[in-house]
Amino acid sequence: MKIQVLGTGCSRCNMLEANVRAAVAESGSNAVVEKVTDLDMMMDLGVMVTPALAVDGKVVSAGKVLTKEQVLSIIKE
Amino acid sequence: MAECNCGCGQKTNLIYACSGAANTGFLADQVARGLMKDGTGSMTCLAAVGAELSGFVASARGADSNIVIDGCAVGCGAGIFERLGLPYTQFVVTDYGVKKGKTEITGEVIEEVKNAIKGALCNG
Repeated sequence: MKIQVLGTGCSRCNMLEANVRAAVAESGSNAVVEKVTDLDMMMDLGVMVTPALAVDGKVVSAGKVLTKEQVLSIIKE
Repeated sequence: MAECNCGCGQKTNLIYACSGAANTGFLADQVARGLMKDGTGSMTCLAAVGAELSGFVASARGADSNIVIDGCAVGCGAGIFERLGLPYTQFVVTDYGVKKGKTEITGEVIEEVKNAIKGALCNG
C-alpha cells in the first residue's frame, strides 16, 4: 500500500503526516508513506484543498487533518 | 520554516461552471473565470467531479463552499452535486435576464452577471 500525504509543509499538513505515520506504525502495515509537496502533482490528482491524503493513487480526503484513528480505519479498509 | 502557501487554514471556495454548448454555458464559464480573477475562489473542473475523479470529489467535500454556476434551468452542475451528496450553492445565469440561445454574450453581460452573483454571495 502506498499512502501519499499532499501538502506544502504547513502545520496542518505536518500534523496529518505525523498522524499517518503513527497509524501505519500502530497497524503493523507495510504501507509506504510519501510526502508530496509538488503542486503540479497535486493538480494532477485534482487536489484543490490541502492537506490531502491518497491511498494507492486514490484521494480519500482533502482539507482535513484526519486523526490517527481515522487513518487506521482507512488502512484497514 | 518556510512560509506556508498551501492555503491551509484559509477559507476555500471552489467555483464550478456548466461550460455547456449554448451561449449560457459560455456565459457560466466566463462568469466563473471572472469570479476567480476577482479572488472569490478557485475555479475547478465540474466535468471531473461528474466523472467522480477522487481528488476533485474529495476537494469538493473538503472545501468551505462550492459555488456551482449553471447555464440554464436544466441544472447539470447542481445535478452532479446532488447525485454525489456534495454541499453546494447554485446560481443559474438565466435567472439574470439572459435568454438561452438568444442573448449575445458580451463583456458587459459577463460583468453584470458576475457582479450580481458576487453580490448574492456577499449578502448570502
